[in-house]
Amino acid sequence: MASSGNSALDSAAVAELRAIVGDDAIVSRPTELKVYECDGWTIEKSAPELLLRPRSAAEISAVLKVLHRREIPFVPRGAGTGLSGGCLPVGAPVMICTSRMNRILAIDYASRRVEVESGVVNLHVTNAVRERGFFYAPDPSSQMACTIGGNIAENSGGPHTLKYGVTTNHVLGLEIVLPDGEIAELGGPAEERLGYDLAGAIVGAEGTAGIVTRAILKLTREPEERRTLLAIFAGVGAATRTVSAIISAGVIPGAIEMMDRLIIEAVEDAFHAGLPRDAGAVLIIELDGIAAALDAQAAEVAELARAAGAREVRLARDESERAALWKARKRAFGAVGRLAPNYATQDGVVPRTRLPEILREIAAIAERYSLKIGNVFHAGDGNIHPIVLYDERDADETRRAIEAGREILRACVAMGGSLTGEHGIGVEKMAEMPLIFSPDDLIVMSELRRVFDPEQRANPNKVIPAPGSCVEVAAPRRQVVL
Amino acid sequence: MATAPKSTSAANAAPRRQPARDIVDYELLFDCVHCGLCLESCPTYVVTRAEMDSPRGRIYLMKALADGAVALDADALRHLDLCLECRGCETACPSGVRYGKLIERAREYVNRNVRRPPLERLRNWLIASIFPYPERLKILLAPLRAIDRLGMRPLMRRLAPAGMRDWLDLIPPRAAAQPVIQAAAPAADSAPAAVVHHGCVARTLLEAENRNTEGALAAAGYRVVRMERTVCCGALDLHHGNFERAREFARANVRELGRHGGAAILSAASGCSAVLAAYGDLLAGDPEFAAAARAVSAQVADLSTLLLRRNFNFPRGFPAAVTYHDSCHLAHGLGVREEPRRLLRSIPGVELLEMNESDLCCGSAGSYNLTEPAMARELVRRKADNIAATGADYVVLGNPGCELQIAAELRRRGEKIRVMHLADFLALALSGADI
Repeated sequence: MASSGNSALDSAAVAELRAIVGDDAIVSRPTELKVYECDGWTIEKSAPELLLRPRSAAEISAVLKVLHRREIPFVPRGAGTGLSGGCLPVGAPVMICTSRMNRILAIDYASRRVEVESGVVNLHVTNAVRERGFFYAPDPSSQMACTIGGNIAENSGGPHTLKYGVTTNHVLGLEIVLPDGEIAELGGPAEERLGYDLAGAIVGAEGTAGIVTRAILKLTREPEERRTLLAIFAGVGAATRTVSAIISAGVIPGAIEMMDRLIIEAVEDAFHAGLPRDAGAVLIIELDGIAAALDAQAAEVAELARAAGAREVRLARDESERAALWKARKRAFGAVGRLAPNYATQDGVVPRTRLPEILREIAAIAERYSLKIGNVFHAGDGNIHPIVLYDERDADETRRAIEAGREILRACVAMGGSLTGEHGIGVEKMAEMPLIFSPDDLIVMSELRRVFDPEQRANPNKVIPAPGSCVEVAAPRRQVVL
Repeated sequence: MATAPKSTSAANAAPRRQPARDIVDYELLFDCVHCGLCLESCPTYVVTRAEMDSPRGRIYLMKALADGAVALDADALRHLDLCLECRGCETACPSGVRYGKLIERAREYVNRNVRRPPLERLRNWLIASIFPYPERLKILLAPLRAIDRLGMRPLMRRLAPAGMRDWLDLIPPRAAAQPVIQAAAPAADSAPAAVVHHGCVARTLLEAENRNTEGALAAAGYRVVRMERTVCCGALDLHHGNFERAREFARANVRELGRHGGAAILSAASGCSAVLAAYGDLLAGDPEFAAAARAVSAQVADLSTLLLRRNFNFPRGFPAAVTYHDSCHLAHGLGVREEPRRLLRSIPGVELLEMNESDLCCGSAGSYNLTEPAMARELVRRKADNIAATGADYVVLGNPGCELQIAAELRRRGEKIRVMHLADFLALALSGADI
């Protein structure tokens, strides 16, 4: 592998970088670097040796040229809300943070697209176009803080991706600074493209191809109206059967979200959203589209839910009731913080029809490892998010939490699913990649990555495990010995 | 600047690497799950876009200090000092982190353990010995009033050192005559009672808002009780980590306010109201005062809520384009956002125009604009931009600190937009006169 960088990042290198970005954009003292040692995945920690906070693609390009010449690996970071340790430095001494590059450059309603710098916050895109009746569809729970650049790296989803698709379906074009400092434009403003979809190859690459600095995104028209239903069930089985019933009836709601009892209680303690504490599970089902069709659709969905065993189906009467339901859902992860000092949010996918099965399996795993695991997830697309509660001060419990998470993923794969719906592989799931991909698959991916990053200096030691070993672990990074 | 890590500051010279365990209530730290949803709610993060200037970053820093993983060096101090204590992050936080409590405790620790450079100590001593005492502030301002009468403020401003100019700008030129609300008749003894705590700075610089708060309450049918021996609420001491004197002030106020059992308690300064609402916590460990302090805190209310409860009416219309600024401790501390807006909308003729980032701190934050002028200036510029973009003629708010801060910036820009406390605006709307 490439140089560890420790020796390469000498004072001459720092001086060169300082000359590019300026004093106020360089962080080199340990107290300040400390806060950059983890993102939303807090199980592993490792601080960069140097942090750069550039303001433009030109600065990033100049920086990467220096790093390229000096053979120093780097790791990009947006807002640090990722959940798989995607911006954890592993053998990458320099971190480059895009949070200052947060301008919305152009809004084009006629062509329904917006051009932004990669450090723009996801929700700020929607805020900028809401007045005109548009929104940016991918809406991860962290949308109030996460950046578009981070969304592109992780190919983020969110509740409304069932109907509208994930990030890659909304990125038309990209500007990326390649690891040698060259600025490349991939894709473009046109909806139809010739040739290979190179922008598509970058979305979901988790920062291993370079640093995305600009993106052209699709805007989506706000639906004319919405109907938001809360279906209440005695258990998760009936709730998840309802999901399949709705989809196979030909209805595609804007979102179908499920919360189980543990989550309902946490959310009620936090927000008093009016969810029934005695329910075993609830579904939030949102129908959107042309007003004339919605009432009949809502009635059909309610009927399907009742037929599957819902004890009650409520319709949000107004915008404030709808907002309360979504607030409860979007902030459920944080509300769980009230139940335990730490939690790990897992992210896996199973075919929709096997949701009842995977939830039974998760319950069994929780039992086996003596852990509490809650479930709140995008049921519509089978993207599960078991939340494993633990206390990091208890080393054994922490170890069990990690093990249980792994076992859940293995179960997902065994059921024909996948390792991640939207959080990415990062460092968290590298070891599980061979569960899905053969060595040949991994080699092909590795070769694709080398097209952009021949020396593998962009976010090294991520996503693709080094051949021959299950996972390459850099010495100091693992806080928890497995 | 040298490329090597800076190690010249006094605090860095002898790093305290032993764990600063007392710097936070350690159990409260575990409420934070490091999700980062607070980032964009934090004014300093919005400006610097650096993790160490975010609530999540500061909490991480406090934990690292408590664990002894980092030293309480100049960098740590810098980022803790830069926090405005606006508590915007508490509104954003899904996990219920009590950030205000964390940072107050950290500041108290810093106050006890870090010796500041002489100039900073002098500045803090001046702030602490003048602002909580309206008489002293009046004496200090007398010469400025004389200068104002001679019309020599612009000259003085030019001659003043750059660092003093922002301080000077905060002091409004002599107040124009303001309408005052006159209650028709004294309320009956059976009417619900309300007592208004007169804030220190408002009493000296913005007296009308205290009178109009009382006037509006009386006009709505409240029996307004006058507080006799009111002292500073203790906000400045709390924010500077001087818990001892904050408790002294709290005890004096609890003693006084306790005599009006059952009355709604409020201050024209929502910053002070939020502190009054925290007396229960502040004096929890004081066996003599704990119960009374809890009772006082439970009675704390807000002007717009009280007025809406009594169907406050506006016989005449008042055509005006108005925007509303959420004062931090009213919105994030007391959770009052909708009520002032509803009250404003109920005035016939008033068009309420929402500004962007209405609940992002204006930089006033107690004495923050005196201790961190650069960041305060940056934030008030942003606020003024957002206000101007609405096209409103009035910006209405609920805290004198914000009023001074925002008015100063708008004056510097030559903007004609008037900054008014909600009570003063109600007086104006009731009088129907556009003055």
